[in-house]
Amino acid sequence: MLISTRWLGRHVDLGGLAPEDVAESLTLSTAEVEGITAFAPHLDDVRVGFVQTREPHPDADKLAVCTVDVGAEEPLQIVCGAPNVDAGQKVAVAEVGCVLPGELKIKKAKIRGVPSTGMICSVRELELGDEHDGIWVLDEDAAVGLGVAEALDVRDTVIEIDNKSLTHRPDLWGHRGIAGELAAIHGRELLPLDLSLPPTGDGASFPVRIDSVACSRYVALPVDGVRQGRSPDWLRFLLLAVGQRPLDLLVDLSNFVMLDLGQPNHLFDRGRLSAEGIVVRMANAGERTTTLDGEERSLGEEDLLICSGAEPVALAGIMGGEGSKVLEGTSELLLEVAHFDPVTVRRSAIRLGTRSDASARFEKGLDPALPMEAAAHLVRTLTELQPQITLPAPPTDVGAWTDQSREIDLRGERVRRLLGLSLTDEEIADSLRRLHFDVSAGEGALRVAVPSRRAGKDVTLEEDLVEEVGRIVGYERIPVRRLTAEIAPPPPDERRALVRGIQDRLSGGARFHEVLTYSFLSDDALATLGLADLPHLQLRNPVREGERSIRRSVLPGLLGLLEPNRRRRTDVRLFEVGEGYLPERASERGEPAQVHEVALVWAAPPAAAAARFDAGCFAGLQGVVEDLLRGVGFDTPDWEVPDGELNEPWAHPGRALRVVLPDASGAGRAVGVLAALEPGLHRALGLEGELASDVVAARVSLDRLLECSRRSAGYRPIPRYPATKLDVALALGGEVGVGDCVAAIERCGKGLVASCELFDVFCGESVGAGRRSMAFHVVLASPERTLGEADGRKFLRRLERAAADLGGELRSE
Amino acid sequence: MEDRIAQLGTDARARIAAAADLEALRCIERDLLGKQGPLAEILASIPSLDKAERPAVGRLANVLKCELLAVAAERREVLEAELLAAERSCEDFDPTLPARPARRGSLHPITRVRRRVEDVFTSMGYRILEGPQVELDYYNFQALNIPADHPAREMQDTFYCTGSGNLVMRTHTSPVQVRTMESVEPPYRVISLGRVFRKEEQDATHDHTFHQVEGLVVGEDVTAGHLIGTLRSLLAHLFGRELDTRLRPGYFPFVEPGFELDVRCPFCEGGCRVCGRTSWIEFCGLGMVHPRVFAASGVDSERYTGFAFGFGLDRLTMMLLGIDDVRHFMAGDLRFLEQF
Ligand SMILES: [Zn+2]
Repeated sequence: MLISTRWLGRHVDLGGLAPEDVAESLTLSTAEVEGITAFAPHLDDVRVGFVQTREPHPDADKLAVCTVDVGAEEPLQIVCGAPNVDAGQKVAVAEVGCVLPGELKIKKAKIRGVPSTGMICSVRELELGDEHDGIWVLDEDAAVGLGVAEALDVRDTVIEIDNKSLTHRPDLWGHRGIAGELAAIHGRELLPLDLSLPPTGDGASFPVRIDSVACSRYVALPVDGVRQGRSPDWLRFLLLAVGQRPLDLLVDLSNFVMLDLGQPNHLFDRGRLSAEGIVVRMANAGERTTTLDGEERSLGEEDLLICSGAEPVALAGIMGGEGSKVLEGTSELLLEVAHFDPVTVRRSAIRLGTRSDASARFEKGLDPALPMEAAAHLVRTLTELQPQITLPAPPTDVGAWTDQSREIDLRGERVRRLLGLSLTDEEIADSLRRLHFDVSAGEGALRVAVPSRRAGKDVTLEEDLVEEVGRIVGYERIPVRRLTAEIAPPPPDERRALVRGIQDRLSGGARFHEVLTYSFLSDDALATLGLADLPHLQLRNPVREGERSIRRSVLPGLLGLLEPNRRRRTDVRLFEVGEGYLPERASERGEPAQVHEVALVWAAPPAAAAARFDAGCFAGLQGVVEDLLRGVGFDTPDWEVPDGELNEPWAHPGRALRVVLPDASGAGRAVGVLAALEPGLHRALGLEGELASDVVAARVSLDRLLECSRRSAGYRPIPRYPATKLDVALALGGEVGVGDCVAAIERCGKGLVASCELFDVFCGESVGAGRRSMAFHVVLASPERTLGEADGRKFLRRLERAAADLGGELRSE
Repeated sequence: MEDRIAQLGTDARARIAAAADLEALRCIERDLLGKQGPLAEILASIPSLDKAERPAVGRLANVLKCELLAVAAERREVLEAELLAAERSCEDFDPTLPARPARRGSLHPITRVRRRVEDVFTSMGYRILEGPQVELDYYNFQALNIPADHPAREMQDTFYCTGSGNLVMRTHTSPVQVRTMESVEPPYRVISLGRVFRKEEQDATHDHTFHQVEGLVVGEDVTAGHLIGTLRSLLAHLFGRELDTRLRPGYFPFVEPGFELDVRCPFCEGGCRVCGRTSWIEFCGLGMVHPRVFAASGVDSERYTGFAFGFGLDRLTMMLLGIDDVRHFMAGDLRFLEQF
């Protein structure tokens, strides 16, 4: 909202305060000021000139050559094309060098051979209105040579207040409200304003009927004898300063009252209203009306209408209708000032896309006591301009409104306790009186009378008064303190420790990058990943059409990031720790189950055929998950082939493993899954051609991890006797797994196998068709003695037999 | 024999002096002084000599052996010193050769700043609590004194879930206040950090998903003064020095009085891009817990007072790390992430 400091001066004397001081005090005590600007600074450069002579241009019928005195030694010669320029006028002169709005720089010129040194300006050239049918003729009293702003006394500074910080203050949507705040803050007097209705005639009041609870008050006042026309300069300049284009007297006056008191109002052409009078009612579904902006609007049952008889003439609180325009020559008007339900106005304005200055104010919940005062203000202002007007009948004042003013008991102790500021009861009472709250002594408390304009939703509780006291006294007076308390250290936070451990482990040596992805998944993404059949909680109003499903897992979001990153990096490793929501597991209150997980994806060009057996991403990610779990305190997990449905449509049906850890009872519990990407998804995710990738992903549930038992702390003694190292290779049928070999090796070691590590897998002619060779580093050790060669030989003999039993052979010696 | 010994000494000294490196010296020593060496041979031949000759030859041989050992030790010192000198030389050192990178992954910048905030508060005795991001309308609005017809509830600001209509994507972390008050007995100090959602158009400073930090302290003597003190402590930790703050009125339905806290811009003297040339940065919405919120959560507002505050983690992260576009956070672009 724009506030003119000159306008404020009509309500409070701000003498001695710079606009910056005014702005800062508003920011610190009332509402946030967003900026300060000078009003029409070019009016300081444009000077008042006196047209001494006007001669016709020798070569052009429509031009005139004027000599204009601008207070300098020599008068200026200016060629002017305006039809209304004449000798004896005071005019606004832009001299050579002056820059007008629109970056128009005035230069010395020759117009049809006649030199011209300056320009006589029109209203439009100075951005002071739309009129451009001639130059702007100033008041005869304007002093020649002065800047126009100074000569007309319209120099102004405009303060812009953040509308959001006024949402809870309906009383501040006009200059008088802001002036009242400044008066309270600076301890000045709010100048009196007569808001009583002048006497009226005793004619018949205008008929008004309210048929909706959404209108709680409707004041209708007939006004006669009005002469339409242009507003006086003082009014035009006030409106201009706050960004309102002056139009004609009636529109300007209506705006003036709205911007002065914050109360929107409307002037109807009484001759165009039905004799049945005004009816305020909800629209019928499908009813249509055309508003002042020429738009035809389709209404619903939630829109409130002002009707003349049966015909809609305005959208209540939002905009007048075509039929409400005051026709030229009309002198008989009806002034409407009403109170509408804020929610109704807001919802209509949003739905119809027509938020206006009026609706912005009604939305805030205006004071229902204000309409009659605003009517009086408008009539009194009009009377000053046009003493001939008459009020033929008393105002109609209908509606179920009630006075909002209330009394609240305020304990000084409460103020001191909430603010931590030692104030006497007298200081407290004084600060409230400055805001025009009446304060008297109550029982053990101050009794505070809150005026209607503040008592709507704004000041209803003792704590609301604490705020009033605090901001008027000044929050800067609150002494800064530190909390002290007998307080035990917070309990250990296992979940957070787990999350941090995972993040640190992955972002360190494992070289994964942490990402955050949106919680919303698009229909397309779900369909691509085959997730569309899973139950997803959905948004009613997504940001983008289709982007409506709330994720069950963080993994789908990560998969979508592979392609763009693979374009730029060969090796892409991403992880996210986050939440998913499962609607099928909802609480009694309807809250979906929230699951926490870490998801990992790894994409890299496929490993070369000759690469080591564990060169690919699959084994790599397994290693990362093992290290991750050990790093955060769990055992190395078991990898289990899922029996039955995995229910992970992104996963390769065969190349998938469950991550299993012992739970508190020692039973194996699947905490996650690791799998290669379903082959059909590579193309869908754009990972083909030069982006062809080996893609492996995993999900590990943090909730389940927290239920698993931790690896027992403690150490294994370092062996006292040296170990024997052997390398063995087994050539076996392709159906025999590495796990079978390891089991055989351990069995053959009879308790002496300290470790057994696969280091090569090889297929080829030398091994035999359908067979593969698996080579292991085996370490034999005993806690009781140094092993000899004989132990190694015995082990190898047993292993030879075991290999034969498995249908193969021991290849090494 | 004496001549032979003398000749041997002359040759040996010359060979030792000529040893080019430690390895050569070791070989020479082994040749001269080893079991098969000439000196050993001479000493072994003593019993076969004349009785009269034996003492002199023995003495000479032993003297020579001692002397050669000393000369070799001297030569070894010289060679070792030369070797060290050579190692200290840096003729072949190119100081501009690049380092071999120690490869690692990265933590998200939001995580990095989130941890700093968490650590400041846990050091002050705060517990960290979490609430659901898909939240009941009751906790997100109603219990926070935001009634059904409040503008904040309009569809253009809040994501609503389909179904029974009582679920929303939480628009702030403040619901955790109520969940805390319901479940824990005062006094307590709690913070909550996490994702929140508003239906906003995305631009350089707005995203529909962002992160907030919420704080709640309830006790028998908790005042606005403590609230300011708490946030000043936080700011001092985050920015490494005490920063001036100012409190001004702010409206949030769940606090009364409600404030906004501005912090003196740490990046400039007299205005810059970060503070929009005002020297003040809006940092935090805050206030004293509203009695209606206490009532909704079953806390006796006559016995206890409390404060609450909330600020955006994304904006703080942008400020601390100099990031100019909020959309980077959720874009998952390695070129961005690798920098942290
Ligand atoms: Zn700055």
